[in-house]
Amino acid sequence: MEPIIEIKNVVKEFKVLNRHEGLKGSIRDLFSRDYKIVRAVDNISMQIGQGEIVGYLGPNGAGKSTTIKMMTGVLEPTSGEILVGGNVPYRNRTKNAQEIGVVFGQRSQLWWALPLIESFKILKDIYQIPDADYDAMLNFYQSLVDIEPLLHKPVRQMSLGQRTLSDILAAFLHNPKIVFLDEPTIGLDVSMKAKIRTLIHALNEQKHTTVILTTHDMGDVDALCRRIVIIDKGKMLYDNDISHLKQFFGSYRTLKIRIKGDLKQYAEEITGKLPECSVSADDEWVSILVDESKSTVMHVLDKLQKDYKIRDMQLEEISTEEVIKKIYEEGVK
Amino acid sequence: MKQKGFGFYFRIYLKILAQDLKSKMSYRADFIISTIGMICTNIAGFISFWILFRRFPSINGWGYYEILFLYGFSLVSLTPVQCFFDNNWSLRQYVYSGDFIKYCFRPINLFFYFQSEVFDVKGLGQLAFGLGTLIFAWVKLGLGCSVLMILKMIVFLLTASLIMISLQNAAAATCFWIQNSFYVMDFVNRFRDYAKYPVTIFNKGFRFIFTFIMPIAFIAYYPSLVILRPDAVPLLSWISPLIGILFFFLSYKFWMFGALKYSGTGS
Repeated sequence: MEPIIEIKNVVKEFKVLNRHEGLKGSIRDLFSRDYKIVRAVDNISMQIGQGEIVGYLGPNGAGKSTTIKMMTGVLEPTSGEILVGGNVPYRNRTKNAQEIGVVFGQRSQLWWALPLIESFKILKDIYQIPDADYDAMLNFYQSLVDIEPLLHKPVRQMSLGQRTLSDILAAFLHNPKIVFLDEPTIGLDVSMKAKIRTLIHALNEQKHTTVILTTHDMGDVDALCRRIVIIDKGKMLYDNDISHLKQFFGSYRTLKIRIKGDLKQYAEEITGKLPECSVSADDEWVSILVDESKSTVMHVLDKLQKDYKIRDMQLEEISTEEVIKKIYEEGVK
Repeated sequence: MKQKGFGFYFRIYLKILAQDLKSKMSYRADFIISTIGMICTNIAGFISFWILFRRFPSINGWGYYEILFLYGFSLVSLTPVQCFFDNNWSLRQYVYSGDFIKYCFRPINLFFYFQSEVFDVKGLGQLAFGLGTLIFAWVKLGLGCSVLMILKMIVFLLTASLIMISLQNAAAATCFWIQNSFYVMDFVNRFRDYAKYPVTIFNKGFRFIFTFIMPIAFIAYYPSLVILRPDAVPLLSWISPLIGILFFFLSYKFWMFGALKYSGTGS
């Protein structure tokens, strides 16, 4: 497969002033030349093929946005090479912009006061979309989601979900080769999340658009991505299939139970009974981390119910942060 | 991909403008109140000016109607910056909040895209007021009317506008480096008031500053000399259109340099 994005040994450093505390420190900072170099992205390489959906994960401040800004041409890498659709993004920013679509979190790029359809018409002119393609795209959108009620509503009157949906539709409008989605489902309710995932999936399938998706929501990743790239502190930790990653988080779940009495004491008792699980307790819950490749949650629950009167329970999937922590601690097998 | 020339940008601008006006009409009360506010500001400015000239009928050889001419001239030339470049006032908020990044993802000129987003209708009221003053002074001065005169007038009004736009662009662009560029913009805006007076009333030092460093003398004084004192036009008047273009180009480059250096806040 011909790669559409090629990143080779990319490094991005920022010069940050060493700040001092207090009023005296602030005055000193005014004249200070005391800079430190911060490496936001540290030697990252990857190749992404046409039509892939790649989940780009990492904790806050890991360097995800910085990488995306470099791929979209907003930032220039300190060293290394980036090619996006054959262009060097920073040098051909406008040419690159023609080939990509971007949705940046909760920052709408649409015209605030205009109804969506008017924004679309302006975008049609800006991207010089031929009439036939434009009409075909609108019809395609109509077949995916009910856009009719959105089209004539000013963006400022939309709910967050409608706005995000509109922003995504706008990003795909000129049929770009690559779309960057930065936390598209943040703050949305479950049904809107599902709607947006279906939409992205269908667009990728039909138009073979490459999608780079950053998110903290493992639901997004599960629904959309076959491949995952994880970075932390600017360094690449993982770049492989999601199925390969499942062994880190798919098999772990946390069972939380509430029992009347001293939870700390129960936690110790349960540890004795279930040596394969790690057990902890806080003020409300006893948490049991179950490795499902060794034992199932149902089995554990069954065992506990015989000895204790369980008043309430919760089941938690392991979070991205925990997966990354696990990868960080144990390395990639 | 077709080449994006003047026609391309012009069409897009008209489209955005039409949409923008449509949405502005929907805030009718806002529109009416801001128009009334603009008229009041101008009338107040005019009255203080009138009171001043009742006491001193001439300043440094400049008569009442000549000064009035300068006044109208500077108002008219203020229209383009008011109408087309008003988004400069919001630039620092976009930069501060990180929202400026949204302008970086479109395949069109960044400066154009940013400025095209706002068209300030209030400028049109100012234009009407300025034109009225200018024509009144023109008639009173008995300047006559010929195609050449009007042509000259248009060229030098455009020159003055370019200088105003340049000053504002440069002032707004400082926000790419400093946190609170409002003071810079406000400062430049206040200095612009001096453009309404002939530069000869200032001493040598200020005359130099207003000509070469903050070129407000080019806003009204040097261009209008061509119309008002056709016998003794200094060289600086004739080259002022070139200076206008040069300053505009420099301010555009400065603005773009800042914008490209800008990296947005993390998100």
